Amino acid sequence: MDRREWLGMFGFLICGPALGCKGYQYGHIIKPDAPNLVGSHEAGAEVFDPLVDEAVAKLLARQQTVTPDTPCGPDGLPCPKTICFVGIENKSMEDIGDFKDKLYQQIDSRLLEASTFRAISRRMVDAALFETRLRPDSLMIPDNMRLFTAVLERNGAPLDYLLYAVLTSGTTTRNSSTQRDYDLTLELVNVHTGVTDKQSAEVRKGYHKTAAGKVWNYNPFKR
Amino acid sequence: MPEFVAESTSTYAPAVVPERGWFLARTIIDCIFASFACLLVCGQIGCSTHAKRLATPRNHFYDGRLDECKEGLEKLSKSRHDKDVVNLDLAMVDLLSGKPKISEQRLKLARNRFEALESESLTEKTVSMWTDDQVRSYAGEDYEKILIHAFLALTNLLSDGADAESYTLQLQAKHEELVQACAERTKSNTQPSYTPLPLGFYLRGMLREATLRDYDDAIRNYEATASLLPHCQPIQWDLNRAKHGTHSQPGNGVVYVFALVGRGPYKVEVSEQPTSDALLIADRIVSAVGPYKLPPTIAPIKVPDIALPPTDVDAVGVSVAGAAIGPTYSIADVGQLAMDSYRANRNAIVARAVARRVIKKATVAAAKETMKTDGLASVGMDIAGIAWEATEGADTRCWGLLPNDIQVMRIETPKGTPSIQLTPLRGGRPVGPSKQIDVTVIDGRNTYVLCWFPDARSQSQVITAQ
Repeated sequence: MDRREWLGMFGFLICGPALGCKGYQYGHIIKPDAPNLVGSHEAGAEVFDPLVDEAVAKLLARQQTVTPDTPCGPDGLPCPKTICFVGIENKSMEDIGDFKDKLYQQIDSRLLEASTFRAISRRMVDAALFETRLRPDSLMIPDNMRLFTAVLERNGAPLDYLLYAVLTSGTTTRNSSTQRDYDLTLELVNVHTGVTDKQSAEVRKGYHKTAAGKVWNYNPFKR
Repeated sequence: MPEFVAESTSTYAPAVVPERGWFLARTIIDCIFASFACLLVCGQIGCSTHAKRLATPRNHFYDGRLDECKEGLEKLSKSRHDKDVVNLDLAMVDLLSGKPKISEQRLKLARNRFEALESESLTEKTVSMWTDDQVRSYAGEDYEKILIHAFLALTNLLSDGADAESYTLQLQAKHEELVQACAERTKSNTQPSYTPLPLGFYLRGMLREATLRDYDDAIRNYEATASLLPHCQPIQWDLNRAKHGTHSQPGNGVVYVFALVGRGPYKVEVSEQPTSDALLIADRIVSAVGPYKLPPTIAPIKVPDIALPPTDVDAVGVSVAGAAIGPTYSIADVGQLAMDSYRANRNAIVARAVARRVIKKATVAAAKETMKTDGLASVGMDIAGIAWEATEGADTRCWGLLPNDIQVMRIETPKGTPSIQLTPLRGGRPVGPSKQIDVTVIDGRNTYVLCWFPDARSQSQVITAQ
């Protein structure tokens, strides 16, 4: 075999697979303990998962505190509080797309796992909003709150608390780097007394146009 | 045939050298037959473009003869090169025949195929440099990829609506992806000129408002729609309602009338005359001063272009139970999107056509150099080269059954089965017969109606969600 034949065969071997390998996509299952992918343009699971964990944990810790006013059952243990998780308001800079419903389900599941709260089903909440045609942000008006709680109680779900989740963000820009602070605030309102409790969690994330941006802006010598 | 025996120092039989004149004659004959064969073979590829093959089914479609149109399209779909793009046309026929589920399946298939074909095949790219762009698999224009997602959302709304929201999110994501890809292709920091379709934001806002809960998402999306359509008053009403009002009053439902108006864009073959003239001058200069004699550029370079047929319908008037509500308003200018997205990619198409011509000329010049042809043989090869270039055709494959504009009208009405009348308008005046349809309005829920008015004379189609 001379050089030309050898080169031709070598070239075919290299190019041959490339001719047939267009347009494929590959996937794999990520293990539960593996870290999340960090989004390059928007917040993703790496931001929202710790936000939900921290905010809900703080709220549950505060609400588990027993005071002399806490109603207790015949066994002396505090009664679980009936809570209506109204929904998540996105007031941040980014559109969270399919994460909104996921966050709702995550928070709802965490609340259900705790014995502190007895959550009303989302479907009953939606049915009550449908029947009353009230906006979620107008439930704080006393007449609207009475109407909404009356509908839920009529459907067999007496209500103690309304829970709102609000997602906010703050953006700081420096040349080609940006820092965005994401806050998830859980606001719990007692429908009988109007007393509120608020817990929040924050995650800060940096976005950089160059690979060296992180090193340049967030190194120990910067302070 | 006289034979001349050459002396040889080897022990092999002496070489036989045929007469020079006989060899020349044979070469000329071979060139003539080669060019004729080239014409026959390449003619199958170059002469009949997709635009010509689609003309009859298009006419059937606009005449309202959907069955004949479907028959014609199914014949076209047997061709390997046409089947992906014909599938899109069949999706429109199925949608307007009242089969949104089948239409959705076709659109999903087309979406997946176009995504798979986004990375180019080296084989097809190479072969297309020797023939024309019609041998390449059609991966869809940017505007078609965006519209696939838009129509997926619309078809899903007309069936069960379970995935409509996902499709609207995909529509927005697709637009951003295409804008980024275009910027990378052109190595430019400036964004391409085509703007996102307001339709995607509007549909998402509409669906989020219909939850009676996610008004914040509805506001965000209506704001995005309003920024793209700053002069559209009904969008301002929608935004105001999302900010301060509710989806509907108790006892009322909402009817959304989506109108596909006008005849949409399609591709036609045009001659890129300035480039052809410049190439002719260039090849004459190279032939005059260089060592190679190139075939002249007589056949013009053919490229596809977007044609927008004239339309005599610009809106649809909506009446409910005899009371006039108003005309529909545009949320997706399909014609403008097609023009803008095509313009952003046109330079690449022309550059590819020029590169193809250069490769063909170089091939002919190299063949002449190798065979050391001159005189009649050289002329023969030039003729073969010209014939080879003349058989090129522009790739006019496209989604040919699109509307020119997608419009919408929102009507809040008491629950029941009201009768809705749809009238094609031009300049606010009726230009054709009305279509009447009864719809079921459910308390607190959306009902969707889709209608198509391609022009004042054509048969219009109306379907409602089941």
